Amino acid sequence: MSPAVLIAVAIVLPPLLRIIYTSVHGPALSLTSYAEVVKSNLFRETLRTTFIIAGSASVLSLLLGFIVALHLARQPAQRRTALMVLVLLPFWTSILVKCFAFTIILGRDGIINSLLSWIFDTRIQLPLVLNRIGTLVGMTNYLIPLIVLPVLASLLAIDSTIYRAASIMGAKPARIFWTVTVPMSLPGVFAGLLSIFVMSLGTFIIPALLGGRRDQMLSNLVDFYNRQVLDWAKASSISIVLFGIAAAFIIPLILWRRRKA
Amino acid sequence: MSETIRDSHARRYRILGDALAVAVYLFLLAPILVTIPMAFGSTNALSFPPTSYSLDLFRIFFSSPSWLEPLFQSIEVALGATMVVMLTGVPAGYWIARHEFVGKALITGIIMSPIVIPTVVTGLGLYLYFSYLRINSTTLSLVLGHVAYTLPYVILMIMAGVHKLDRNLEFGAELMGAGLIRMFLTVVVPQLVPSLVSAALFAFLLSFDEVIISWFLTGSNTVTLPVRMFSALEWEVSPVIAAVSTFLTAVSLVVCIVAIRLKKWTPVDA
Repeated sequence: MSPAVLIAVAIVLPPLLRIIYTSVHGPALSLTSYAEVVKSNLFRETLRTTFIIAGSASVLSLLLGFIVALHLARQPAQRRTALMVLVLLPFWTSILVKCFAFTIILGRDGIINSLLSWIFDTRIQLPLVLNRIGTLVGMTNYLIPLIVLPVLASLLAIDSTIYRAASIMGAKPARIFWTVTVPMSLPGVFAGLLSIFVMSLGTFIIPALLGGRRDQMLSNLVDFYNRQVLDWAKASSISIVLFGIAAAFIIPLILWRRRKA
Repeated sequence: MSETIRDSHARRYRILGDALAVAVYLFLLAPILVTIPMAFGSTNALSFPPTSYSLDLFRIFFSSPSWLEPLFQSIEVALGATMVVMLTGVPAGYWIARHEFVGKALITGIIMSPIVIPTVVTGLGLYLYFSYLRINSTTLSLVLGHVAYTLPYVILMIMAGVHKLDRNLEFGAELMGAGLIRMFLTVVVPQLVPSLVSAALFAFLLSFDEVIISWFLTGSNTVTLPVRMFSALEWEVSPVIAAVSTFLTAVSLVVCIVAIRLKKWTPVDA
């Protein structure tokens, strides 16, 4: 059975080594492609866009996901199980289906614009897709189910007697929310936020289909160098940088979780 | 007096919370709620709600080779990948769960890495490696790529299943003289059936829906359904895509229901 472990390593490891090899193997063995990438404006712009989109989409998803998690946590167990389907169904829906739907919903003559045109009785064509708005809507829809699960777990872990104690002592709901619910769910919230942030750093499909030229992220840049420019050394260097950034955020999270366990 | 005031406060907060939650649920379900009615709409308009209902879009989907060939390609790749990933992932997961060996942390770290590595990076790595092996654009490269992608999930699910088993049964079988492979097949595997089935279903669905790795690995003869759909969405948004979307959603739904039935539902860590 240990051969199976070796086979598993043999399937996963060589592609990673190959990408490192390609990134340093231009005309000669060197780090020039990294230097060129880091110096280029296109890369810097894309890096900034990647952080901005990933950051704002994660925070937005946390806010909306927290509302859902709070609602689920308050339901009796059986009802919660039923309502969970509303979160799990989108979780299982293909990202392509979501992108297609949002081009229909947000398009120039899409559902939202038609609705607004009908309400105000003039032709309204707000640009809601192929720009930052479209990207963020798509990313948020994709990320919410992923943040609801860890946040819900940490909300359910809060001892209900603490709530009872707080309300016996006369705390109003808003006060209970800010002094009990929020601080006690913070570890789960933080872990969830970090993991959806790392996940959104590598998004490829959503900016490609719902974003405009200025919403392209590092993954799209990798694809651009691989498919259009045919410069595999640069495509590999950008990949390694992207991997490094993701690792820099995910490794502390893994270590923190292990220490807690 | 103060009691009733507090109660009305609490009620107002609860109603506000419920209303916000319903809005978010609707936002989450919007893609499904929009695509399904459209799939039954007419063939020439992308309007919602559809003005007339028919099965024409499904007829186009299931009769045009440009959609059918990718569909069969996806089924072939997903079946192949599921088979290979189960044959390696099940014994590997068992071994990692039950044994200590030199470099265990490093080796499991490598195997689990596709979960945290951005998929584009995995995709490019596989593409470069398969170019080097000269097997790019083949069905084999897609199968192997999907195995690398699904392996960590299968191993995690198998490890979780193995940790629930009573280890003494395995010791017992070995004491009675069963060899390692015989013990594994007659003692471990039968107890693991639920984990095996849900891991296989999960792997199949992951592979069937996978876009990014396939985008890097397909050639013109090995286009999978998601890649076909991705390039269709890049260039023209045609109404047939609504039917394809509904089909994909139905596949995920069926797999999901079977998996839930099998697992008898575990609430949060599902």
